[in-house]
Amino acid sequence: MARIEARRVSKVYQGRTGAVHAVSQVSFTIEEGEFVSVLGPSGCGKSTLLMMLAGLETITEGTISNRGEAVVGPRTDNGLIFQDATLLPWLSVLENVLFPIKILKRARADYLETALELLETVGLSDFAGHRPGQLSGGMKQRVAICRALIHRPDLLLMDEPFSALDAITRDEMNVVLLDIWQHHRKTGLFITHSIREAVLLSDRVLVMSRRPATIACDLTIPFKRPRDPKIVDSAEFAALCSQLRGRIEAGYAAEKSSRIASVATAE
Amino acid sequence: MDAFSPPAAAAAPQERSPWRFNWAAGRQMLANVLLPIATVGVLLLVWEFAVRHYAISSGLLPAPHEVWERLLATWPTLLRQAVPTSVETLLSFFVATFLGVVLGIVLTYSRLIAASIYPGVVFFQLIPKVALAPLFVVWFGIGGETRVAFGVFIAFFPIVVATMAGLRDTPPDMLRLCRGLTATSWQMFVHVRLPFALPQIFSGMKIAVTLAMIGVIVAEFISAPAGLGYLIVFASSQADTALILAAILVLCVIGLAYYALVVLGERLAIRMYGAN
Repeated sequence: MARIEARRVSKVYQGRTGAVHAVSQVSFTIEEGEFVSVLGPSGCGKSTLLMMLAGLETITEGTISNRGEAVVGPRTDNGLIFQDATLLPWLSVLENVLFPIKILKRARADYLETALELLETVGLSDFAGHRPGQLSGGMKQRVAICRALIHRPDLLLMDEPFSALDAITRDEMNVVLLDIWQHHRKTGLFITHSIREAVLLSDRVLVMSRRPATIACDLTIPFKRPRDPKIVDSAEFAALCSQLRGRIEAGYAAEKSSRIASVATAE
Repeated sequence: MDAFSPPAAAAAPQERSPWRFNWAAGRQMLANVLLPIATVGVLLLVWEFAVRHYAISSGLLPAPHEVWERLLATWPTLLRQAVPTSVETLLSFFVATFLGVVLGIVLTYSRLIAASIYPGVVFFQLIPKVALAPLFVVWFGIGGETRVAFGVFIAFFPIVVATMAGLRDTPPDMLRLCRGLTATSWQMFVHVRLPFALPQIFSGMKIAVTLAMIGVIVAEFISAPAGLGYLIVFASSQADTALILAAILVLCVIGLAYYALVVLGERLAIRMYGAN
């Protein structure tokens, strides 16, 4: 049985100018231990999809199941990472990492060691006592990664976690995440609009188009793990990227022609 | 692997050697302290000179030195009358802060209550509140309760608004993260929303502490048997202008002290819950 199974999932908002189809008829599965990226242009509904999976948005139509149970609300075995690190500015780095433990009312002592280990994996051991205001954007996002992992969730939901970072820091963070995936194998859903990032990190890439907001392509990335970040320089990597780019552009073309068609029928 | 080592530029803020006096900062501080003092000094001199030169009667406008002498002569009275005013102001401020924060929280959390009473609260603010002071005397009599109640009435609104604004200020992703962890709304309130709101609440408190004093003084004008407001009214009936000004000077000192206390509390809160 697949870990995550989305069946004909739609999300419709009631906007001022009528219904907005943020996500329409999306179906996909994620196997246990698989890292899947959803790749698409901004505004294609990929974040909404993740929020529905996290139980933070209601599903208008269709079903999502997590371990065979329908998703109806948040679960404690999810780990979440957002575009913004969303750290509490008054807590130290260590306390921020331990924040989920406080919320889940678990014994802090049982997780202290894990927290320090996680900080070491992301190279922040010396910063455990610092406040977030003293850290760079990349360092903050590393803390957010540690926080997402602290309560040992087995599904990690990441909503464009590196898109607010500069290109160099972003490459660094990709390496950090690859490394973490080697140590803590989990199931992951990663939302991004970077083709390179998706190919480097994922076992599968789902391309989402904007109109309709649905999955246009499902591509398996054949690179073995552990992955060497140097695969980005290989011809195979370049070929996969260009294949995905082709799919995205095809989506744009379809969107344009459908818009022309709808204008034509309106006339 | 160097990708794991944190960027060096982001290390802790540069520390200055504590042994070296920072001249630029020192001069800046001197300017910040000395310039306003010098300005006030010059104004006092001009005032003193003008009163003497034009022979203005001390009933109309006493010279600064006369106010000072009157202050020294009536010092025990001023001090005695300052006690009820200070106590009532402090009490009004505390009650206003408590009520304001609680009302702000209730209005933020309950849409139903907000919809039913917030327009009324705002409407009440549009009434010239000082005009209601005599009503408070009718309702509460001429005791200390009247002054405290009126001080609270004048001071609590900015705290309500500041609390509501502060609670609404929480980053939405932070709340999403909490909900994703199945946090209860009480946990979100205690661990996230209230600390995020604190700086705003303090800015409301800074306004409220001055308003509380205004409320108490106005109430003293119309009803009190004691207090600096009463002393001012009494002195004015005696045409003792120097005493009025001396009482106002004492009021200023009390007001400043309270304001400084709130600022101190704010600094403490920001040190605990602020960004650095």
